[in-house]
Amino acid sequence: MAEADNSNLRQFTDGLVANNPTLVQLLGMCPTLAVTNSVENALVMGAAVIFVLVMSNLITSALRNRLQPHVRILIFTLTIATFVTIADLALKAYVFEVSRKLGPFVPLIIVNCIIIARAEVVASRQGVARSVADAFGCGLGFTLALCLLGVIRELLGSGGITVMRDWGWSWHLDPKVFEPHAWVIMIMPPGAFLTLGIVIGVVNHLRSRAAAKGGA
Amino acid sequence: MDFGALAGVFIGVVLINNFVLARFLGICPFLGVSRKVDMAFGMGCAVTFVMTVSGVVTWLIVHAVLMPVGRWLGNPEALFFLKYVAFIMVIAAMVQLVEMYLKKFFRPLYNAFGVFLPLITTNCAILGACLLIDMNEMYRSSLLKSTVFAFGGGIGFAMAITIMAGIREHVRFSDVPKPLQGAGITLLTACILSLAFMGFAGIGK
Repeated sequence: MAEADNSNLRQFTDGLVANNPTLVQLLGMCPTLAVTNSVENALVMGAAVIFVLVMSNLITSALRNRLQPHVRILIFTLTIATFVTIADLALKAYVFEVSRKLGPFVPLIIVNCIIIARAEVVASRQGVARSVADAFGCGLGFTLALCLLGVIRELLGSGGITVMRDWGWSWHLDPKVFEPHAWVIMIMPPGAFLTLGIVIGVVNHLRSRAAAKGGA
Repeated sequence: MDFGALAGVFIGVVLINNFVLARFLGICPFLGVSRKVDMAFGMGCAVTFVMTVSGVVTWLIVHAVLMPVGRWLGNPEALFFLKYVAFIMVIAAMVQLVEMYLKKFFRPLYNAFGVFLPLITTNCAILGACLLIDMNEMYRSSLLKSTVFAFGGGIGFAMAITIMAGIREHVRFSDVPKPLQGAGITLLTACILSLAFMGFAGIGK
C-alpha cells in the first residue's frame, strides 16, 4: 500500500514541477497568454481547469476498459465538454464579473491540449486513484504557472495585485513612486508574449543547469 | 446591403483584433507550424476554410435548431446548455466532412491541406470564432456579419502565421541564446509583431 501511495505522490509532483504542463511541455498556451493579465483571472481559470481535468480523468479512467480505441477521442471530448458546461454555468452563477472577463476562454477549455493529453496518456491506461492524482498535479502545475505570469504582469502593469475586489484583498506598490513609471504594456497583449517568452527562457536555463549538475 | 459595416467587421477582425496577436486564439499552431512559409500558408488556408464553414454552421445550429426547439418547449434559451457540446461536435464533423469532400472532388487541394485538417479539430481558433460570434450581439443578429467575421478571423490567422514563418526562416541563421531557442525566441518575436499590430488600433475610430 505504501508503495502505491508513493507512486501516486510521484505522479502528482511530476505534473506539478518536473513536467509542468505549461512551462516545460508547452501545452495549453492560449489561456496561459490570454488570462494572465491579472492574478484573479489566473486563479479562477486555474480552478476551472483543475475541476474539469479531475472529473474528466476520473470518468475516462473508470471507463477505460470499455472504451473502443477508434471512438476514444470523441468520448474524451464529449466528457470534457460536459464538465466545461457545468464549470461555465457555475462561474456565471457565483463569480459573474470574472467569468465575463474570461470571455470565451472558459468554454475553450474543451480544446485545451493539457486535458486531452492527460486523458490519452494517463487516464486511459492507469487506475482511478493514480489518474486523479495526476489530474491534481497537472491542474495545480497549470494554475501555478498561470499565477506566476499573472503576478509578474499585474505587478508591473498596474502596480499592485487585487484578488476578489468584493472580499477586499489587495496589495499595491507605493503609487507615488510607481505610477508615473507603470508599464501598461504588460497587461496588454504584447506583455503576455514578452513575459511568457522570458519565463520559458529562464525555466530552460534552470533545467539545463540542473541536468548538468545531475550528470557531473 | 450595408457594405461599409461589413468592411468594418472584416478590417476589425483581421488587423485590429487579430485572432492570434490580440485575442490569443490558435497559439499552438502559431508556435508549432510556423517553421516554413509554405507550411504556414497551407495551415492558414485550411483554417480559413474550416473556420468560415463552421462559423456559418454553428450559427445555423443555434438559430435554426436550438432556439426553435427551445421555443417549442416554452423558452427559447431552454437548450442553450447544449451549446458547447453541439459546437465541438459540429466542428469535429465538419473537419471530417471537408476532408472526405476534398479527397473525393479536389484532390490537389486535399494533398495540400491533408496533413493539417485533422489538427484543426482541436485548434482553439475555430471554436473561439464560433463562441465569439455567439457572445456578441452584433454578429448573433446577422448571419452575413457572422460569416464575414469567421472568414476575416481565418484570414487574420493566415496572415499572422505566414508573417511569423517568414521571420522564423531568418531567425534560424541568427545567434540566439541557448535557453531561448525554440519557443522562447518565437514568443519574443510574437511580442514585437503584436506591438506592431497594436498600431492598427486607431483605424477603428
